[in-house]
Amino acid sequence: MSYPASSDLLWELTRSNSSFLVKRKTGGGVKLSRDPLNLRNIHSRKHSGTVNNQAIGIVPSGKGGISLLTKKKTGATITQSYKPSKTSRKAYVQIANSTTKKGYRADLREDAIARASALIRSYRKQTKATKESKPRGSKAKASAASAATADL
Amino acid sequence: MTSVKHVPIVKKHKKRFNRHQSDRFKCVDASWRKPKGIDNRVRRRFKGQAAMPKIGYGSNKKTRHMTPSGHKAFLVHNANDVDLLLMHNHSFAAEISHAVSSRKRIEIIAKAKALGVKVTNPKGRVTTDV
Repeated sequence: MSYPASSDLLWELTRSNSSFLVKRKTGGGVKLSRDPLNLRNIHSRKHSGTVNNQAIGIVPSGKGGISLLTKKKTGATITQSYKPSKTSRKAYVQIANSTTKKGYRADLREDAIARASALIRSYRKQTKATKESKPRGSKAKASAASAATADL
Repeated sequence: MTSVKHVPIVKKHKKRFNRHQSDRFKCVDASWRKPKGIDNRVRRRFKGQAAMPKIGYGSNKKTRHMTPSGHKAFLVHNANDVDLLLMHNHSFAAEISHAVSSRKRIEIIAKAKALGVKVTNPKGRVTTDV
């Protein structure tokens, strides 16, 4: 697939309406993007994957690994998968080496590594147990009263 | 997930602005309507009269729409919507839409927990004991 239109035109066409765009009126009106080639999920010219000729995406791959998506000049995406390893830094170095070091969207390096890090963190098992919430108000009174009667 | 550090949230007027004389007549609803009468003492801001809403009561732009936890609410309908907040879990919290079933709520909450996203209404339809 070749790009018939310039990035600027594509952005003007997709900025107000796109299948990736998610608008919410709550929280002061926010625009997010479902684009897999969007590292921050922010609907903007810089982060949009469909619009830019070069774009980076970090998506989960099976079994706790991550995949690095990059865009060819033709518009096709290349996928490089990284298996889960003990040191997550290896993946970050590989991501930086295959993009920033080659002069490919150096501006997205921090975002790419932040996303990879967030994904790897999400795979970890939760060790912290959730705190049990203390009863408040009328429930607290009721539980205190039941404890007092139990003592008697 | 804790929120980003922010300036303290200040609400300049916590009480509702009730319509003038809505306390006197039941046919006058409490919803705010600006008094327009030529002699109206509330409109003329006489001493001891009810305060009228004005732009000065607005919240700081930095803390507008913020919940006390420091997050802004983002409405989610399914687990895929939670994915959008992966990189925003310090600034946005997921709020499950009202029409979502308890089965899907459990999925959403599990996903949010894995991604470190706060859910504002995690108890709705999920807890059964009264």
